[in-house]
Amino acid sequence: MSFYAEFRMLSEKAMTFNFPPEMPLTEGFRGRHVLDMEKCVGCGLCEKICPNLAMTMVERGEADEKRSYPQVDYGKCCFCGLCEDICPREALKLSHFPFIVVLGRDALVYPPEKLAEPPKLEHPVPPKIKGITNWAISRSFWVNFFFTGCCFIEAAPWVGSGFDMERFGMLAKGSPRHSDVLLIGGYVTVKTLRRILRIYEQMPCPKYVITLGCCPVNGGTYWDSYNTINNLEKYMPVDIMIAGCPPRPEPIGLAVVLAMNAVQSGYMGKEEKVNKEEGFLEVPSVEESREEGEYTIPFGPQHPASGNFDVYFKVEGERVKSARPNPGYLHRGFEKLMEYRTWWQNIMLVQRVCVLDGASYELSYIGAVEKLAGVEVSRRVKYLRTIQAELCRIQSHLLNLGLIGGATGFDTMVRIAWGDRERILLLLEKLTGGRIYHIYNIPGGVRRDLPLNFKDDFKKEMKYMLKQLDLYDNLCFNNSVFNGRTKELGVLPGDMAVRLDVTGPNARASGVRFDVRKASPYETYDELDFNVVTSEGSDAYSRALCRRKEIEESLYIVENALEKIPSGKLFERNAKGGLRLSPFSPLPKGETIHCVESARGELCFHLVSNGKNTPYRAKIRGPTFDSILVAMPKVLEDEHVAEIPVIYWSLDNCPADHDR
Amino acid sequence: MTPSVLEVLKQECQGEYVREKVFSFVKVQKEKYLDAARLLRENGFERLLTVSAVDWLDENEFEVYFLAYNPEENVYVKVSTRIPRENPEIQSLSSIWENSAMHEREAWELFGINFEGNTMLKPLLLEGWKGPHPFLKDFDWRRYVKEFPM
Repeated sequence: MSFYAEFRMLSEKAMTFNFPPEMPLTEGFRGRHVLDMEKCVGCGLCEKICPNLAMTMVERGEADEKRSYPQVDYGKCCFCGLCEDICPREALKLSHFPFIVVLGRDALVYPPEKLAEPPKLEHPVPPKIKGITNWAISRSFWVNFFFTGCCFIEAAPWVGSGFDMERFGMLAKGSPRHSDVLLIGGYVTVKTLRRILRIYEQMPCPKYVITLGCCPVNGGTYWDSYNTINNLEKYMPVDIMIAGCPPRPEPIGLAVVLAMNAVQSGYMGKEEKVNKEEGFLEVPSVEESREEGEYTIPFGPQHPASGNFDVYFKVEGERVKSARPNPGYLHRGFEKLMEYRTWWQNIMLVQRVCVLDGASYELSYIGAVEKLAGVEVSRRVKYLRTIQAELCRIQSHLLNLGLIGGATGFDTMVRIAWGDRERILLLLEKLTGGRIYHIYNIPGGVRRDLPLNFKDDFKKEMKYMLKQLDLYDNLCFNNSVFNGRTKELGVLPGDMAVRLDVTGPNARASGVRFDVRKASPYETYDELDFNVVTSEGSDAYSRALCRRKEIEESLYIVENALEKIPSGKLFERNAKGGLRLSPFSPLPKGETIHCVESARGELCFHLVSNGKNTPYRAKIRGPTFDSILVAMPKVLEDEHVAEIPVIYWSLDNCPADHDR
Repeated sequence: MTPSVLEVLKQECQGEYVREKVFSFVKVQKEKYLDAARLLRENGFERLLTVSAVDWLDENEFEVYFLAYNPEENVYVKVSTRIPRENPEIQSLSSIWENSAMHEREAWELFGINFEGNTMLKPLLLEGWKGPHPFLKDFDWRRYVKEFPM
């Protein structure tokens, strides 16, 4: 069967996109702003609503005819579109243009005149090649593999077959000593900065630093967090900055082409200099007490299979004696950041808790807010939310299947599953306007209706995905090598799963029949017919299989939902015709809890309101806190060191979720 | 049915409760906090979802709470208690639910609440942090970020 699968893959058209990409990529994407200066009245509402302080009003015109217009700093903007929503004259709009790649901080500030120009793609023209060495380096960038923050999720597709970095000569490398490029994927916490500086020092010259997103440039979304860096350039040189939150994979590719051209024309990177704040940013040495014959080995955060997460293993021979997780590399302090933003502004913050499955976080938060406010939404909105959540679950599971494949040394699976994930992301983008961070829900409704032809697009993708799932079975689940690498590994018995509060596919693969969608249905899960996928194996194989079956189940849920979706209003409006909850309105006093089934298990938001327009306290109960920090060390006991990545990814960690 | 457990909680632990569909919010005295947890654990509340706190600065109190779940009856219960803000101390639930120690460790780090009987109270998320407990209401992040920009 595997032979047949291989043959099928050879005979089919490649799934790789063309580069540079043809415009428009999709119609729905939220990209660079376009300002209509005629319509703008300078009311300043966009400046007031912006949660990231990216908007400032600047004055233009002669002394007696001065008018103010918005100026956008793309070093801060997160493309949430709240400014577009609130603009009373529709003067400010988001275009679909994703390319904002610059070589210096100042170029990220767009004055009103520049915003008024229609966006266009400037293809970098390759300059004359000087010398064979530079040409060679430029065609063989080895990129250090370190998941620093959420933007890395958009660099990861380059590994998959959708974008395929290897055709540019690039390779993802685990060792800093072999790397030319350090890719800073998003926000940097103090704990991460210590590791990045050490990695940067270990890389040989010439070395280049590319930052993704706004956070390393100017704090971005986490500009007021006590634990993140607001200006990375204070600590190390940065060569290229890519704006976006997160940027699409295409601008990342454009940045790489820019870097290649620069290197070909003799650019050797900025001068190496590191500021460690007089030793404050040295990586602390860890000395664990150990007995004779025992050794401590660290796993992560700079490890191809760890994510930005760290575990210390005590080993005897090649067996794990005990494991001590060391989280916190992604701690931004969400719960308190939410206390500083209005109920409305928080809709662009919550999905950032877990980059891999943002929709569930939106649903959980919005559900809790609507309970507090006493807002009912139409059935159409509920259906749309269900569709969003299920598509997001599919892409999250596909990412995990790729990671499991990678952990077992089966790289084909990474390429295929992540390539397929791109197609689901395109669907999500069509529906919501965002690939990763949808920012689709608002208290009392959703921001967009179902796009035209969405049903047909989905049907096409569903047919394709069902065929691909057969391929996964042939390549992976019926493959004796994959079976041998995953079966009877990392056994998590059902009773232990309940006792340690493990939920989601991890628990269902141990026979625990618990799914929030069935137990306490939210949105429209009570109207849709679906099965709770369980399995009895309790091992890494069962967990991967459970996810594969859930993908199928989710596809049927979306199909079913698209058939049943009724017509209805997108927002609940009050008597005056405005939204019942306005962006600055307070919520009544009280507290509430809302739980949903995320891709990794049960997710709850506990919100406390004291009658103001910001939450008094928000508590996020993420699913990975227990499954990774509590259960994983127990699951890994007595396992072989070489199996750690397989077991680790079979539990599907999202470090950003438990660090928050 | 679970209401009886909640009734018992009300009588035994002098608690008061509010129900909202599957969620119940119970308030108990500090002395009854551990008893309430034990009672719930003995009555099918197998899962502990979280242990956390709310800082009520104006009242100079912390609200410490835990959220437990009964899978048989599909009922969530949030049990909360108030403790003074100075030298906050409360018993640990680690003898009742195994996973509570890690949640308490986080609450200890972010709020500075001491959980008696928890042997895991070491920094979890932060490394080399010398400032106040970050989630306290009187620690203003926006002022901190302005004063000590990183």
